[in-house]
Amino acid sequence: MAAFDIVGKGVPRTDARAKATGSATYTDDIKLPGMLHGRLLRSPVAHARILNIDTSRAKALPGVKSVITGADIPPVRYGNWRLFPNLQDEYALARDKVRFIGDEVAAVAAVDRDTAEEALGLISVEYEELPAVFDVDAAMRRGAPLVHDEVEGNVSLDRKIRYGDVESAFKEADYVRKDTFTVQAVSHAYLEPCSSVAQCDQDGRITLWTSTQVPYIVQCLLASTLKMRENDIRVIKPTVGGGFGGKMELRPWEFCAAFMARSTGKPVKFTLTRREELATGRRRHPMKLISKVGFKKDGTLLAKDLKILLDGGAYNAMGPTATFLCGNFGAMLYRYPAYRFLGLHVYTNKPPASAMRGFGAPQSLFASETQMNLAAEELGIDPIDLRLKNAQVPGDEIPDVATISSCGFRECLENVAVMSDWKKKRKSKKKGYGVGIGCYSFISGGVFNWFNTQYAFSTAEVRAFADGTVHLLTMASDIGQGSDTVLKQILAEELGLAMQDIRLTTADTAMTPQADLGTWGSRVTLMAGNAVIDAARQIKEQLFGAVSARFNLNVIYDLECKGGRVQAVGKPERGVSFGEAVAMVQKTNRGKALVVRGSYTPRRKGLVTPAFSFGAQVAEVQVDQRTGLVDVKNMWTAHDCGTVINSKSVEGQLEGSLHMGLGYALSEQLVMDGGVTVNDTFLDYKIPTALDMPHGVSACVPTYEPEGPMGAKEAGEGMVSPTAPAIADAVHRATGYRCMDLPITPEKILSGMKNKG
Amino acid sequence: MIVRFEYFAPKSLDEVLRLLDEYGPDACLLAGGTDLLLKIRAGAVTPTAVIAIKAVKGLDLISFDTTKGLFIGATALLSDFAGHPAVTKHYPALRDAALATANVQVRNMGTVIGNLCNASPCADNAPTLIAMGGTAVVESRNGGRCVPLEDFFKGPGQSVIGPGEIVTSVTVPVPPKGSGASYLSLSQRSRVDMSAVGAGVFVRLESSRIAQASIVMGSVGPVPMRASKAEAILAGKRPSAALFARAGEAAAKESKPISDVRASASYRRQAVGVLVERALGEAAARAKGD
Amino acid sequence: MKHVIELKVNGDSYQVAVDPWRTLNEVLREDLNLTGTKLGCGTGDCGACTVLLDGRTVSSCLTLAVEAAGKDIRTVEGLAPSGEELHPIQEAFIEEGAIQCGFCTAGMELSAKYLLDRNPAPTEREIRASMSGNLCRCTGYDKIVAAVDAAARKMK
Repeated sequence: MAAFDIVGKGVPRTDARAKATGSATYTDDIKLPGMLHGRLLRSPVAHARILNIDTSRAKALPGVKSVITGADIPPVRYGNWRLFPNLQDEYALARDKVRFIGDEVAAVAAVDRDTAEEALGLISVEYEELPAVFDVDAAMRRGAPLVHDEVEGNVSLDRKIRYGDVESAFKEADYVRKDTFTVQAVSHAYLEPCSSVAQCDQDGRITLWTSTQVPYIVQCLLASTLKMRENDIRVIKPTVGGGFGGKMELRPWEFCAAFMARSTGKPVKFTLTRREELATGRRRHPMKLISKVGFKKDGTLLAKDLKILLDGGAYNAMGPTATFLCGNFGAMLYRYPAYRFLGLHVYTNKPPASAMRGFGAPQSLFASETQMNLAAEELGIDPIDLRLKNAQVPGDEIPDVATISSCGFRECLENVAVMSDWKKKRKSKKKGYGVGIGCYSFISGGVFNWFNTQYAFSTAEVRAFADGTVHLLTMASDIGQGSDTVLKQILAEELGLAMQDIRLTTADTAMTPQADLGTWGSRVTLMAGNAVIDAARQIKEQLFGAVSARFNLNVIYDLECKGGRVQAVGKPERGVSFGEAVAMVQKTNRGKALVVRGSYTPRRKGLVTPAFSFGAQVAEVQVDQRTGLVDVKNMWTAHDCGTVINSKSVEGQLEGSLHMGLGYALSEQLVMDGGVTVNDTFLDYKIPTALDMPHGVSACVPTYEPEGPMGAKEAGEGMVSPTAPAIADAVHRATGYRCMDLPITPEKILSGMKNKG
Repeated sequence: MIVRFEYFAPKSLDEVLRLLDEYGPDACLLAGGTDLLLKIRAGAVTPTAVIAIKAVKGLDLISFDTTKGLFIGATALLSDFAGHPAVTKHYPALRDAALATANVQVRNMGTVIGNLCNASPCADNAPTLIAMGGTAVVESRNGGRCVPLEDFFKGPGQSVIGPGEIVTSVTVPVPPKGSGASYLSLSQRSRVDMSAVGAGVFVRLESSRIAQASIVMGSVGPVPMRASKAEAILAGKRPSAALFARAGEAAAKESKPISDVRASASYRRQAVGVLVERALGEAAARAKGD
Repeated sequence: MKHVIELKVNGDSYQVAVDPWRTLNEVLREDLNLTGTKLGCGTGDCGACTVLLDGRTVSSCLTLAVEAAGKDIRTVEGLAPSGEELHPIQEAFIEEGAIQCGFCTAGMELSAKYLLDRNPAPTEREIRASMSGNLCRCTGYDKIVAAVDAAARKMK
């Protein structure tokens, strides 16, 4: 494996100083002259026909500059599904019907927030309430009310995967089990509430600053909904305070800010409240998962039949991808000779579910990892041994889906067993004590092109200067995960420069090269990283030519960029500084700037992703048998993310995943009462605090991913998945209670213990 | 919610009382503000006048006297209270309750007495203060009165404090020789959370027998509630794990919890029994160690 | 009726006319353009809006601006001694990788300062307890705890 100068180090983040001093600018920090403040009127009912909206009193309130409803805007449906227009099911503001509590009905822009808020109270909407459906079973019942009149049965989409002969495999099996699991809705709970500021210039062009993961998608969908040309809209992503999948679509406030900026001629800002975020915002899909697996007596997996019902809420949002991916993850980690999957995405009258860290994997893996643990118990095989027996290895094929290239799953299992002293701890009979295991696999970006872009999936422009600096421009979006730093590291490594030699401009659709599909599915390091490498190699090619000519080098010589120099490998005296080499290229080209564009689009990589990552996690818990309180003492994780580009970032991602996984397992749930989200504050939507976190130990299993930049692949998204099944397994060892319906609450533990006697 | 009110920051108690009298039911007192502002924004209260009392000199006093006991002023902060040497030394259970209240920032803003006056059934500071015989000193333009904290709460969000009145202090007797107290609470979800259940207990031992026991439970009824049947079980008995378990069971039976987003009624009932049992154990240990 | 008050922020005095219901958070961010202090929840549960008021951490979203009049207010903008030099807490947050999205950072740093001002050598447990009123969704807190520990050593 190549030795690196910068890649692999825990280089401090590029944006850390700005964030540490409070000078990093987030969207809500932006204040423009004459700026108006917007607020949204949301539906108070779960399902209703809009009979009439009277905005006259709101419009008459002094200070109100604009009030709009669905009738005022172009009737254009949007969604990220440009390749499948029938899945585009949203309007920026409701027309005819509202479908969930919180559905956006009208927008107000006024001179200040209080006036805008007051105006909302002056809009009267006449609703004709309709019967509503709040869970997948009710929604799919014959004669159920239709959330979208044109979608019979409320199933907006189905997805099937099938390979091998499932029926005969089950007949051959010595041991078959079928289980039903349910998982709850949880919130992304990024700390920065969504915010957007729009400005319209005198030529009618719009600039939108917005807290988003996908500036390019927002640009394009804003264009279609405003009936403007894409490049008359400029989307800029300022510093973003986390997204986790919750900011990867065009949202009504982005549309309203832009629309009202155009109509009023003044900048307009919308910032959501936390209550809006929790009560009406996107969330992780609740799912019902029915899984049947068959094994041979010796533990060899033969087949799986998986059916998943996704509770999608009122709109598709990113649900179709989650439907696809949860089916994909149902057959990952282990070799399933025969597999059948049916996924149904079901509309209900609740806030839409969408992408959230793991994108279908946390739900699917909770079910399949728990089922592995159940099977191990009944087969009398240690759960790690059962996994080792069936673990995927490099070169394994998932028919029609992907071929697994790098894969360190077996090593992860072996490693985590040693790290956690598994064999000994698993035997412990201490009261209320247990260890348990869960594993994961995840993607490194999606191959799917549902957005139907004509551009490369990721693009990078590099400008090299004679002063020894370079400028990297990319639409890739750092939302807190650290991609700006990682992309700089990759470029610095390739060009033999230092971090401070690189200027970075990102995520501005007018200034950075088209395009980048955004931050989701753990795609940035691999895809944008490859685009950066592509650009860097083009720069190097030119620099090497110039240096080769200057020193009259034999054409068989290799050249390198190293330590700020461009030189013949191993012959530093035959070389010049990076800046001098750039000047030589420019002079050769009679003044032409040294600017190149690199790009990456995955090809011949199957249907899902160019690369899979893997990992295994062991949880150790102590349960108070009287109160059911779970104390997660330790978590051991071994994972395979290919080459580590930034060690601090990878650790940080892992620790952050543990936080979110712990919440998913134990404390987080958007509690619904019909269509009402009951816990709409951080007082009652409980994300773990510093006191709640277990002690964590982790290890990276070294692998090299041939498709990844410098061998890297996904880190930090998939790791959110193993935590819940690992803790559930440990709790089972500690108490006898086996969780089949997340979250694991003290209440469920106590009643589970009672039922066991 | 659109929120609008007049704001006053009087410097003297007389001025506070005058404003309370003038605005009557339309006035709200603001101490830490951590509960009041949320209630105002939610539209749960709609005061025309908010009277801030932190500027009143001397109202933040915390003092201890070996004859009169503990004095807690109306604006004494939860963090100051929890860190006060006399509280730590003589009233460790009250300290624990203060530290179980909300988070660091809220404890730096909020007051012990504000926590009581908010009259939430889950107020962390109420059970132990009641169990230890605390008394609220209430003043108004028409004079003053003392209300035992046991009689202070009337229902969720409701106390005996009427328009025109202010609690200027709470006093707690000197813990008698051979006594101990404890406060335990739990949340199902996090170590930093609104308590789903709490139990404050006080016991006094005489010749190795329980001469006096008070048990007050939080979040298992409309107000912090006394478990008198459990107390009766303890009277005159020698402290033991089995006895405390029986008292815990009795307390659980007496509790009248509801189900909400934080816990179900049946969980609360079960948990409060365990907490009472464990708190009795801790209180008895403290009593013996005296 | 608006109140004309004097706010002393990071050693500078500002005279502002504010409605009594406006929070310190709104006035800092909107009137004084000190946007380093964030607003994460508005209910005092997340700690992103934490500032120091007379040396104590408070939630600026639950503090009325009029209540802060005349008091010593410190925000993240007042931590670093100069544009070039950082406070040891800031240095430690950068070096330890305690910053990801950064939205909790200002509040975290001020909570760290509050702790270290009172307890120059805290244990890990004390650090966790003291930072537990500040939520972070990115880091899992480990690197934040490490940063506070490192800052304590730097400040010795």
